[in-house]
Amino acid sequence: MVALARKTLIYEWRRFLPAMLAVGFAGLLQLLQIALVLGIFGSTSLYITGSSADVWIGYPGTQSVGSGRTIDADVESHVLMDPAVQRVEPYIWIDGDWRGPTETGGVSVFVSGIDPRPDGLMFSKALAPDLRTRLAEPGAVVVDRSVLDQLGVDIGHTATINGHQVRVVGISSGLRALGGVNVLCSLDTARQLNDDPTDSGPTYLVAKLRDPTQADAVAARLRGDTAFGPYTTWSASDFASISVRYWLFDTGAGAGVLFLAGIVFLVGAVITSQTLIAAVNGSVREYATLNALGVGVGALRKVVLEQAFWVGALGLLGASALGILLMMLARSQDVPVVLNLPAALACIILVMGLAAVSGLAAMRALRRADPATLLR
Amino acid sequence: MIHPVTATEPMRTPALQADGICKAFVSGHQRTQVLDGLTLNIDAGELTLISGPSGCGKSTLLAVLSGLQKVDSGRVQALGSELGQLDLRALERFRLQHTGFVFQGFNLFPALSAFEQVELPLNHMGLSRDEARRRARSSLEEVGLAHRMRLRPSELSGGEKQRVAIARALAKEPELLFADEPTSALDAANGQMIIDILHRIARTHGTTVLCVSHDPRLVVHADRVLAMEDGRILSDQRPHASLIDNKEIPS
Ligand SMILES: Nc1ncnc2c1ncn2[C@@H]1O[C@H](COP(=O)(O)OP(=O)(O)O)[C@@H](O)[C@H]1O
Ligand SMILES: [Mg+2]
Repeated sequence: MVALARKTLIYEWRRFLPAMLAVGFAGLLQLLQIALVLGIFGSTSLYITGSSADVWIGYPGTQSVGSGRTIDADVESHVLMDPAVQRVEPYIWIDGDWRGPTETGGVSVFVSGIDPRPDGLMFSKALAPDLRTRLAEPGAVVVDRSVLDQLGVDIGHTATINGHQVRVVGISSGLRALGGVNVLCSLDTARQLNDDPTDSGPTYLVAKLRDPTQADAVAARLRGDTAFGPYTTWSASDFASISVRYWLFDTGAGAGVLFLAGIVFLVGAVITSQTLIAAVNGSVREYATLNALGVGVGALRKVVLEQAFWVGALGLLGASALGILLMMLARSQDVPVVLNLPAALACIILVMGLAAVSGLAAMRALRRADPATLLR
Repeated sequence: MIHPVTATEPMRTPALQADGICKAFVSGHQRTQVLDGLTLNIDAGELTLISGPSGCGKSTLLAVLSGLQKVDSGRVQALGSELGQLDLRALERFRLQHTGFVFQGFNLFPALSAFEQVELPLNHMGLSRDEARRRARSSLEEVGLAHRMRLRPSELSGGEKQRVAIARALAKEPELLFADEPTSALDAANGQMIIDILHRIARTHGTTVLCVSHDPRLVVHADRVLAMEDGRILSDQRPHASLIDNKEIPS
């Protein structure tokens, strides 16, 4: 079989280049957009995904980790009575006002008070064990590498949060927050930093189960009781997706992503289909000759579709190579980018869908390949 | 398959039969009657030339006889099949099995070598790969391009390109070969070579070759010459046969 589609693509690559570039850029744009959104909004559930708790207990109606309210401390003993629960640990979230030693002005910080024991649940996956134990010292805090300039400090420096002095004892990485700066300290330090005397209890209780797969069932079981004031429970994965969904949709970011995806698809498809149509028009007399010789219209359509497929595949290849490079660059600059399998698949589907739609549009141009027009 | 045909052979059934065919084109308010009740038989195994001035309907007649265009009225029979009865798919199949075409433009794919141009249509005929390649090679040899098989159209001269186009049609081993102004894009020497090849194909393969041209120089190479004007056949001559065979058709 003579590979007409491929040979033409190679021989006339200049003609197909705009289509490949359009497909490639559409793919790249989509890839980076998804990676950025996942990276940025993924950081809103970092508190959950970076910890090893299976069940979270917090104030009813809480939509994201940062918007919790205190619950009654006695809930802890109630939770511990459940035989499935192995351990429970409080987690305190305080919004604070940071004043650095240099002129940085006030910086809004999210203080996370956690259990500093080496086997503590909170941030067990995001915080190195030696950093965690250093938090046990009163007034000790850990901040993220990416915000050192913003906070105007380095390791060993002191600053104040809500007017109380703290000292930076360690620097973490990958603990970026959205709309503020994460500061980690021990539960005791967090209680001291809290100006509001009315909230005495923890913001959350996090629990580790003997069998993590039971998270949903245990969360549901613990939810019923109201003897200790208002509280509710989530499995960790539920709470993480609630948190991400809140940011994606209630902030309009999700709509923005879909909107941009639509625009990218549209523009890409217009350029790609126009290029493919021009390529078909350029060979329309040859196609018509083949049809005169009895080669069916279906076979000619397959040639055009195959060209569209190769344009899509090559564009995708270029986009992937460039995308990986750019993602590596972003990572090295602490720009939060995350790509998971569903997101990568979504990109591939978008790009190949774009190529397919363009190929179908170009197939219509074959209607001009009427062999009767060759006889004049 | 050598099948020499003499002009006087009595038991010949026509390869192509047109019976009272009419064809008109309407563009805007204007209606052009291109073919007006034309009746004609084309005999098998010879080179028939339809000559006439530009715009007289030669190409339209060729399109109708080869099943590329439908007639308004009248009947066209090719190799015993009534073309008017066939739908688009069946016409494609008929053309695939029985016909070859050579056009004024060479219509070669820029990306393919001469060999691939010829092999490509054969791929769709259900031939084995080896058979397709064997046929492509022998056709190119037959038109004298054995040494140019690997070249792309951009590396071939006009005459060579038209020979590739002929080889592409010939490799299908068709019973019917249609050529529309095959020499008009070429100089005299190359045109001469093309018509010689077409004539030889008719003689050695027994192919019915129907060639349309306004070029009067081709007349001497044809077995039979039909002169056409304004959608009608004016004369029907056999240049090489005895004078008795030549008859004028009253218009
Ligand atoms: N598709 C068409 N639409 C309208 N008019 C046409 C079409 N094809 C041919 N014609 C007209 O039919 C006449 C005969 O055309 P054609 O058969 O190509 O002549 P020839 O090949 O003898 O030069 C011309 O006047 C031409 O303008
Ligand atoms: Mg013509």
